[in-house]
Formats: sequence, C-alpha cells, structure tokens
Amino acid sequence: MPEQPVLIGAPLDDACLTLEQLCSACAVTPEWVCSHVLEGRLHSPGDRPSQWRFGSGELTRVRQIRRLEIAFDAEPELAALVADVLEELDRLRAQLRRISPG
Amino acid sequence: MPWRRGLQFKDYYETLGVPRDASADQIKKAFRRLARKYHPDVSKEPNAELRMKEINEANAVLSDPEKRAAYDALGSGHAAGEEFRPPPDWDAGFEFSGPGFGGADAGDFSDFFAELFGRMGRASHASGRGARMRGEDHHARILLDVEDAWRGSQQRITLRVPKVDDQGRVTLETRTLDVQIPAGVREGQLIRLAGQGSPATEQGPAGDLYLEVHFKPHPRFRIDGRDLVMELPLAPWEAALGAVVPVVLPDGKTLKIRAPPGAQAGGQLVVRGKGVPGDPPGDLMLNLRVVLPPADTPRARELYESMARELNFDPRAAAGG
Repeated sequence: MPEQPVLIGAPLDDACLTLEQLCSACAVTPEWVCSHVLEGRLHSPGDRPSQWRFGSGELTRVRQIRRLEIAFDAEPELAALVADVLEELDRLRAQLRRISPG
Repeated sequence: MPWRRGLQFKDYYETLGVPRDASADQIKKAFRRLARKYHPDVSKEPNAELRMKEINEANAVLSDPEKRAAYDALGSGHAAGEEFRPPPDWDAGFEFSGPGFGGADAGDFSDFFAELFGRMGRASHASGRGARMRGEDHHARILLDVEDAWRGSQQRITLRVPKVDDQGRVTLETRTLDVQIPAGVREGQLIRLAGQGSPATEQGPAGDLYLEVHFKPHPRFRIDGRDLVMELPLAPWEAALGAVVPVVLPDGKTLKIRAPPGAQAGGQLVVRGKGVPGDPPGDLMLNLRVVLPPADTPRARELYESMARELNFDPRAAAGG
C-alpha cells in the first residue's frame, strides 16, 4: 500500500477566518452572521464585514447557536442566551477542574 | 444497486419514542424533549453523545415528509438491529427535494441512513444553494496525549465522510488521514485542513476539515486552555519551612520550584509562562497537597508525639471548633 502524504494541520489563531470561511464551516449565510453581529449575539469582529476575521471561539459559538435555532426553532436571542449559559458552564467546569484535586 | 452486508435496520419511531402514526407536532415535541435530555453539554445520561446522534438521525428522517413517507414504505415488519436489505427500487416514486445527505454532521449518520437516502445527495447539493460550488466543510474531534502539546505529534485519523459516486449516489466512505499536529495546541482549539472536507459536487474546490483538539485524561497533568495544571505534593516541613522542589513537565524537563514558607494544602502556585508552549505560552498551575508521613515506626510516632507536646496547635481553632 503506497504511503500517503502527511497533511500539515494549521491551528486557527484568534482571528483568521473570513466571513465566507466562517459561513462555509458553519453552514450559515453571511446575512445570518451579519444579523447576529449587529444584534450583539456574536462578538463584533470589526467595522466592515470585508475585514471581519473570526477565530475558534466564534466558530464554535456560531455552530452552537445555529444548532439550537434549528433543533428547537429557537428565537435567535434565546439561542444566544443558551449559548452564553453553556459557555459559562464550560468556564465554571474549567475553574472547578483547576481547583479540584486529582 | 449493491447492498451492504451487515446493514442493521433502524427503527426511527422507537428512537424518538413515538407511534408510527405520530403527527408532525408529536415528532417535533419528542425530538425536542430528547434533544434536551441528551444534550452532550448538560446530560448526565450515559452515552449521551451517541444517543444524540441517533436522535438527530431519526429526526432528520421523520421530520421530513418525503423521507418519512419513503421510510414508512419499507414497512413495519422490521425489528431494530436486525440485518436489513432494502427491497429493489424501494424508493421509486419518491421525489426527495428537502435537505439532503450533506452538511457538517452528515458523517455522524449511520450506514442505514446512507443506504436509504444517499441518492438524495446530488439533487440537494444542486438545488440547495445555487451560488455555492464549494464542497461541504466537516468537523471532527481529535484526542491527543498531553505530551503532544509540547512535542507535536503525527496522528492517524479515521473519518466517515459522505462521498458522491458517478451515479449521484452518496455513500459513507471511511477515510484515513495522517496529520501533523504542531506543538502548542490547546484544549478546544480548531485545526484546519484545507481541502479535506467533501469534494465539490460541481466544479469547485473541496471543503475544509476542522479538527477540534481535546486531550486524553492523564494521571498527573491536565490542560486547561493554555495552562498546565498539576498537583505538587509537599512534605509537612517543606510546606512549613519552604523548599525548592523538582517538578517534571510533560516534555520530560525538570523545573525547580520554590515553595514559599507557610504553604497550605489547597493553595496554588502559579509559574508564569511554563504552561502549554506558544505565543504567549500558558502558565503552570500547581495545586498544593501536603502529604503526611505515616506514623508506622516508633521513631515516627515519637516525632509526632513531640510535635503534639511542643507545638501549641489547634487546626480547628480558626473554624471555632
């Protein structure tokens, strides 16, 4: 069996995905992202959409919000609130892991 | 059409816990109830992630009138898990126009789903988003050893990804990729492999593959974001008097850590810049634990008794005990 080439993984920095790449990765439209940024449900990545750059955190959040909207027909504000709560849960779990022994 | 041996029938109604004549509203309610119960972020149920995939798949079929009608046409005489072979041309007469077998989560669906609904792939890609020529992006989790964050690693990843054949039929294909993961990755970080998602159905570039990094549990180390968390056991005299103690990091290097006098169990020392390497590097968080020597020899007992006599110490005084 021929040896296959080794692919080089590129870690996503804090802000490296364009709007188009984010939309492709999360199966959402640019209009969806713009609306969520304008309404404050996603962190504003800058002034002009053409210059927006997104990182791992935003990509995870967009997928989370989109899943909630689809699964529960959730209002965007409610989906964003649940995403906020889940992010807080992650933060508190991480804090717990820091202080708990073992 | 060749069929796949060992294909197991899936009873989607049983998965959602609804009767076969359930209304669309009943199916929606059942799905939401189960989606809440098995949400991987909050569920305490065993195998929540696996159950969530099954629930998503069942909902993808039963919430879509065309897919549900085709699925119902298979008949009700099959038991979940029994070996299954779809009748020839079982889906003749059904037009699949809804969302097809694609999307970032498609690889989570079963071979049974792929066998039944794989034919929808090309039509849905073509009709879904006219302007979109690019293949779908995909997401997968990757589990690394803690040490890999320091030294980097080469990982062999096996993925199940939908593939469109010449007849426009989508099947789940097992792909193996060898991926070089650089040092300095942190928990939850995404790694992009350009062009390793689904191929485009028309002219156009393939999608990308995103790997989400997680670390396997380690008996000594834990990675929290960019920080390395570990326990630092101290002898009572080291904690009381202060000491310089060695700490071995995941890369095998030894750091000498100065524990200050009066350190207490439950306290934490932070060593800046000695966590996961990177720019900036994370911190090393040392949770202090004071380990008592056992009083299992006459001499050890004598020392403890001497401390008890000579130190005026009540550990419960501060608690009012």
